[in-house]
Amino acid sequence: MSGASRVVAVLAWRNLWRNYRRTLVMLLAIGTGVWAMIFMSSLMRGMTDQMVLNGLAVLPGEVQIHHPSYRNDPSVVNSMSAPGGDLLAALEKPPVTAWAARVRVPAVIASERDNRGVTLLGVDPSAEQPLGSLPDEIVEGRFLADAGDRGVVLGASLARKLDTQLGKRVVIMSQDPQNNVADRGSRVVGIYRARLASNEEQFVYAGRDVLQEMLGIGDAVSEIAISAGDYRQVALWAPAIIAAAGPDLEVLTWMDLDAFLASMLNLQDGFTLILMVVVFLVLSFGLVNTLAMAVFERVREIGLMQALGMRPSLILYQLLLESLYLLLLGLAAGNLLAWVTIKPLESGIDISGVAQGMEMMGMGTTLYPALAYQDMLMSTVVVIVLGLLASLLPAWRAARLDPVRALNKT
Amino acid sequence: MRQVIMLLGLLFTLQAVADEPLSAQDIIRKAMDHYRGQTSYSEMTMIIHRPDWERSMTMRGWSEGDKQTLVRVVEPKKDAGNGTLSVDGNMWTYAPKINRVIKVPSSMMSQNWMGSDFSNKDVSKDTAIIEDYEHTLLSSREEDGHTIWVIQSVPHEEAAVVWGKEVLEVRDDWVLLEQQFWDQDGELVKTLKAGEIREMGGRMVATVLRMGKVDTPDEWTEVRTEAVEFDLTLPANLFTLANLRNPRQ
Repeated sequence: MSGASRVVAVLAWRNLWRNYRRTLVMLLAIGTGVWAMIFMSSLMRGMTDQMVLNGLAVLPGEVQIHHPSYRNDPSVVNSMSAPGGDLLAALEKPPVTAWAARVRVPAVIASERDNRGVTLLGVDPSAEQPLGSLPDEIVEGRFLADAGDRGVVLGASLARKLDTQLGKRVVIMSQDPQNNVADRGSRVVGIYRARLASNEEQFVYAGRDVLQEMLGIGDAVSEIAISAGDYRQVALWAPAIIAAAGPDLEVLTWMDLDAFLASMLNLQDGFTLILMVVVFLVLSFGLVNTLAMAVFERVREIGLMQALGMRPSLILYQLLLESLYLLLLGLAAGNLLAWVTIKPLESGIDISGVAQGMEMMGMGTTLYPALAYQDMLMSTVVVIVLGLLASLLPAWRAARLDPVRALNKT
Repeated sequence: MRQVIMLLGLLFTLQAVADEPLSAQDIIRKAMDHYRGQTSYSEMTMIIHRPDWERSMTMRGWSEGDKQTLVRVVEPKKDAGNGTLSVDGNMWTYAPKINRVIKVPSSMMSQNWMGSDFSNKDVSKDTAIIEDYEHTLLSSREEDGHTIWVIQSVPHEEAAVVWGKEVLEVRDDWVLLEQQFWDQDGELVKTLKAGEIREMGGRMVATVLRMGKVDTPDEWTEVRTEAVEFDLTLPANLFTLANLRNPRQ
């Protein structure tokens, strides 16, 4: 049997190259199809990654701890005392790589000309630094020096809307836990630029100690953000934090905090699969046609082999092998092409022409395609499984030929 | 509005001025000291003027000291009964149509008050001008037999004030003639001007106060005082939320 299958394998390979032009055209079709599948899914993965990363940049820290009511009503009333005891111990040991406690309250910022609602972040710069939650780029002035810095740092877009600038005084207003107005004047010490203009307009940074003093909340904070590196691994270490925080605090991972992002990530895999199947369906017509032609040309030959005693199953096997060779060669070419074209683009594609539309989706002006090995693997599996299924019909018909009629076919 | 009330307070104090030279600090402080601890009741009309429309409201206001103010709208009918109470820098509004007392949150304090050119903060903010600003006397001049002091007030570094400076003109009978609000680039942003100074309720009163932004000269808000009474006895429960909701005066 193994001898027979070896012969069949050789036969299949040689048959493939009898009409090499047709085979090359088919290879080109499969290669392009596979390249398209991988390229498109890498673009989509790049977009999703950007959305997740931008989303995480807004709520830095893959795990956040809040007062249980804070997320429904992010007011200063729903703040919690600074971490201590078990929680502090859990935060200080691996796998946590960085954590920061911050005050985060809705506020109004006013200049002489205008006033706007913002989210006021009272931060401790040295703790936020490793968390990566500080603005990407300070375009003027400096960032806050420490938690006791009495200045504020605004986004460039906000500064423009308020008609204020570096070195001027603005008034920040919020309310204390007794609902009294809490306000103070503050000098703009820095202006930052963010990837998204909407973030620039929303977030105003101030020293944490200064805000705590202004709001009269002692050392209480609104939010503790925790990071351990890779955002995809968060489920592994979050339970330890939940246990340490106790029942009085709400500990949530970024998937719960921003369900939209999490579902985008899941949706993306589904989209990729659908895309691949659709591309392959188009391809499969060509594939079936090629095989049907190959069978049609060789009807007499197949009849002869059957007359000489070759069993139908071996004929089926041979034709499927032919198809498999074709698919594998096409896959190799397509994957290689995809790798070669995507790798140089991974540094980013400038799409600033459609930046406004992209920003609505929470993306920046540069698209970074992401070549993921699971996408390449998935396209390979889809192509082989569906390709063999599509080849079954012509192969099965060839195996069912009547030797006498086949031999007499002119 | 608060400023208006404060100004009214300033204007009403027609005391003999001592002849010895006064520092800017003294002028403001003295004016404030006269103003504090006094009660007043006034009837006024607020005219809000815009290029394509104008509307006026008639209101009644009570004040006690510089921490408590109550204003009620009398006319027009659709706004009648709307009230604003401010105590210690906090502010509440009451609208009879919805029968609710609403505390004005800090986020709304910079919004305008009843659509006028005064902000909620102007209306409710304590007259903390003494503590929040550094005052210097710029000049003084004689006009119509009065001395007029021009005082520049620069806010302290962390005071909750957006202005770069304010310039006040005070007449020697404590009538505040003008209050200018300058931005931090040294540009004039808005001005509160007093006019038609005459005796009312036994004192010299600037009966017209007009607040206008420099950028938009055809948009302004004017408060005209029609009647005023001073040092009357006000009921103890006047400046309470219960009274805001169920007027008893």
